[in-house]
Amino acid sequence: MVIPPLRRKALRDLRRLWGQALAIALVLAAGVATLILGDGAHRALSDTRDRYYADYRFADLSSDVVRAPLALVDDIRAIEGVVQAEPRIVKLARPEIEGMTEPASVLLVTVPQAGGLNRLHLREGRLAQSGTADEAVVSQDFATAHGFHQGSRLGVVMNGKRRDLTVTGIALSPEFIYALGPGEMMPDPRRFGVVWMTRPALERAFDLEGAFSNVVLRLAPGVPESRVIAALDRLTARYGGGGATGRSMQTSHAFLDAELRQLGAMVKVLPPIFLLVAAMLVHMTLSRLITLEREQIGLLKALGYRPVQIAQHYLEFVLMIALGGILAGFVAGAWLGAGLAQLYARFFSFPFLVFGADVRVYGLAALVTAVAAMAGALQSLRAVLSLPPALAMAPPAPADFRRGAGGMAGIFPMRQTRRMVLRHLLHWPFRTASSVFGMAMAVAILVASLWSFGSIDHMIRVTFRLAERQDVKMVFAAPEPLRALDNVRHMPGVMAAEPFRAIPAKLTHATRSKRLAIEGRPADARLSRSLSPDLRPMPMPGAGLVASEALAEALALRPGDLVQVEFLEGRRRVVDLPISGISLGYVGLGAAMEIGALGTASGEGPAISGANLLLDAAQEREFFAAAAAAPGTGFLNVTALTVSRFRATLAENITLMVSVYVTLAAIIAFGVVYNFSRIALSEQGRELASLRVLGFTRAEVSGVILLELAVVVLLAQPLGWLIGHGIGRAMVAAFSSDLYRVPFIMGREVYATASLIVIAAAILSAIAIRGRIDRLDLIAVLKTRE
Amino acid sequence: MAAGEAIIEARGLTKTYRNGPAEVQALRHVDFTARRGEFIVVLGPSGSGKSTFLNILGGIDRATSGSVLFQGQDITTFNDQALTGYRRDHVGFVFQFYNLVPSLTALENVALVTEIAANPMTPEEALAIVGLSSRSAHFPAQLSGGEQQRVAIARAIAKRPGLLFCDEPTGALDSATGVLVLEALAEANRSTGATTLIITHNAAIQQIADRTLRFADGRIVEEVSNATRKRPDQVSW
Repeated sequence: MVIPPLRRKALRDLRRLWGQALAIALVLAAGVATLILGDGAHRALSDTRDRYYADYRFADLSSDVVRAPLALVDDIRAIEGVVQAEPRIVKLARPEIEGMTEPASVLLVTVPQAGGLNRLHLREGRLAQSGTADEAVVSQDFATAHGFHQGSRLGVVMNGKRRDLTVTGIALSPEFIYALGPGEMMPDPRRFGVVWMTRPALERAFDLEGAFSNVVLRLAPGVPESRVIAALDRLTARYGGGGATGRSMQTSHAFLDAELRQLGAMVKVLPPIFLLVAAMLVHMTLSRLITLEREQIGLLKALGYRPVQIAQHYLEFVLMIALGGILAGFVAGAWLGAGLAQLYARFFSFPFLVFGADVRVYGLAALVTAVAAMAGALQSLRAVLSLPPALAMAPPAPADFRRGAGGMAGIFPMRQTRRMVLRHLLHWPFRTASSVFGMAMAVAILVASLWSFGSIDHMIRVTFRLAERQDVKMVFAAPEPLRALDNVRHMPGVMAAEPFRAIPAKLTHATRSKRLAIEGRPADARLSRSLSPDLRPMPMPGAGLVASEALAEALALRPGDLVQVEFLEGRRRVVDLPISGISLGYVGLGAAMEIGALGTASGEGPAISGANLLLDAAQEREFFAAAAAAPGTGFLNVTALTVSRFRATLAENITLMVSVYVTLAAIIAFGVVYNFSRIALSEQGRELASLRVLGFTRAEVSGVILLELAVVVLLAQPLGWLIGHGIGRAMVAAFSSDLYRVPFIMGREVYATASLIVIAAAILSAIAIRGRIDRLDLIAVLKTRE
Repeated sequence: MAAGEAIIEARGLTKTYRNGPAEVQALRHVDFTARRGEFIVVLGPSGSGKSTFLNILGGIDRATSGSVLFQGQDITTFNDQALTGYRRDHVGFVFQFYNLVPSLTALENVALVTEIAANPMTPEEALAIVGLSSRSAHFPAQLSGGEQQRVAIARAIAKRPGLLFCDEPTGALDSATGVLVLEALAEANRSTGATTLIITHNAAIQQIADRTLRFADGRIVEEVSNATRKRPDQVSW
């Protein structure tokens, strides 16, 4: 095959300029990779979820009741739009596992029938069978954490009575992809699991013969969820119905949704940054190449090549670089995507992971990348087209430094080498600005990823050191009279105990409503407190609600507003309560009241749902044993365990993401600095060689280019901080949900770290250039004209 | 150092280039001495070794063998740092293509050197010697070729060099402009006392020199001293 001469030239140019081409290709590859990774992971997660939901018939609605007769299910099935309704028994219980001292809980759920909703995916063994009361299927993560297999025995205290269960199977459920224990912030498979048992076994254990405590529904497609919820709530109200919830309020689903939203944000933000920077690098490099090859372009035109053919040649050169970037991006994107999918498989419990390469994403990535590269080349190609051959073959006129801002550099006294640097930077303002911008984006990516560390620390400090200061939150299985607090106070190791009351309620303001548990606490609570936005404890008002910022935002509440409160327990009173304050809070929606006022408002009188406790660390084990033995205990939240789990999980995820971001930022920084300095060196090589001849040392001559670089890198820092700050703020807004809000804490160390990383990448790149400056051929440069 | 004393001496200077498999002998055992203040013109065809000779004397190229004594010191033994210092303090260069820094004005181009030299004149003085005081605030792009070359001469002499080396200083200029440049060189030689070596293809220029060397095939094949020097405005080509 004969390669046409111009293509041969493009290939040789590529080999000659391999450093710059590589730098551009890497930046393009980063854009392609983030697009494929982000979109691929997003698609994998959402496709997997959708298929899992469909294959295993994940319910659309779920509603808890205290005790409803099975006959009610027929009425529920009669609601228009309901395709399937299944009564279940869902109860919290306490496992007794040998060697485990810290408190744990399991959620007992009726094992779904064949053809039923929320079907199980068996990993091992078989389902529990009716007629055998002690058979149970255990959720996989919990089983793994404790080494359970088919045939293992597991003791569970149900309704105050211990029962020994035999594990018949290990399973996954679409309902518990993200299995969060009650009151926890992160899944902890050691301390929380799901146990599926047969209906008769659960009926007997909880005295629910002929009754159910939870119903799950599947709706016909297109049926408005809110209408069914309203009808269902009407039916369940008299049986202690706490109100039905759709998927958006289902914990596991909501957490998956939050993850999908973060991935979606990443796909929107990162690839465009890389493509923009790459386009700019293509522009810089190609316009320099065309300046250097003016005479060749003129010659080619004189020889009879059409301008379009010559432009095509340079376009080919650019597209070869783009092709390299695209292919590298494909590989990196697929590799990182597989890694991320594995992380998901660890974090979320899926039976399978749909991670198919979507040809369209690859096609789209290739297309936008090629377009970005061509956009960068556009101006240079226009110059190729318009260059008259006669003019092209004459050397270009020397750069005229009279005009522009460079003239100002003459006013101030400074060393001439510095003046050179200043004038050079000001003479090509677009190039200088785009290099500054490119570096700034590298800083911004880092700032926007590094701030999360400080935010998490802040979140933990506020939530667990200032607001929730108890060592243990003890939640009763059902509300108890006030005197139960005395029993708790007398348990071993309890140094202080404060009661709390939690009543589920639906809060409505104008047209918006939210469901949550209103928490009642003593007026001067010390262990569990509401905090004002300036982090000062807020006393509980005599009447009225303190709403968390998230709730206030969701319902558009301001202090003084009246909010309609529909209690979803007991007498189910509906009252209007004033908002007396807005509190800070990062986890979930929150509303708090003085405990007596809550009892009065709800009409439930004085009762407590549990107690917040300070413990003597030395007697922790004894306390856990006593709490486990007490009949009223529902579950315990141990602050230290919650915090350490929270930290460990986030540390793993964030560390991974931050290392990816650092790599990406370093690629940009290196790419921009390397290209900028190579071009500066190409333009000023002659001047620098002249300086060497005039008696300037190598260090002094390198200093000229390095100073120019340093100015660009330094100017980029504040701009990068600013852009990173903006991206961070946008991320906070994008990530905030009813589940959690992320505080925006941007410490100085974030800016410093981001800058240090980028400057380090710039220095590495500068070292690569320094070698070239040292090797300048003094004689060759002086004997020729440019 | 008295006038007439040797300032630079080359002994057995040899330079061999490797050009692929071929060896090119650029200089073959050249012996040469220049006295302080001397004005020397170097003639010879392309490839005769005259530029290599000048580059080695000027410390921007290295000899394969032989020695170059500057004020008694052998610069062929200098390391890179010492050679840089030698150029910085003692050698002025003027090239065919001026090699001015385009981002600096005429005055600033000269100041580039005066800022680092040990005992420089002021940039204004240097520009006055070449007759360009009125153009000191102009950038290279605003100056004619001859003016740019005179700025290059001012830049070369501003450090008060012992040696002034000029490689084809009039090569890119027309005759009238070339005369102006030669006048500037002659004036620089007179007023600073710098030993001046000018490489040229233009035989007419030899009339303004104290001495003329003719290079061929890497050797000095002819050496002629002029009893009387012409003024630059008396020659033409």
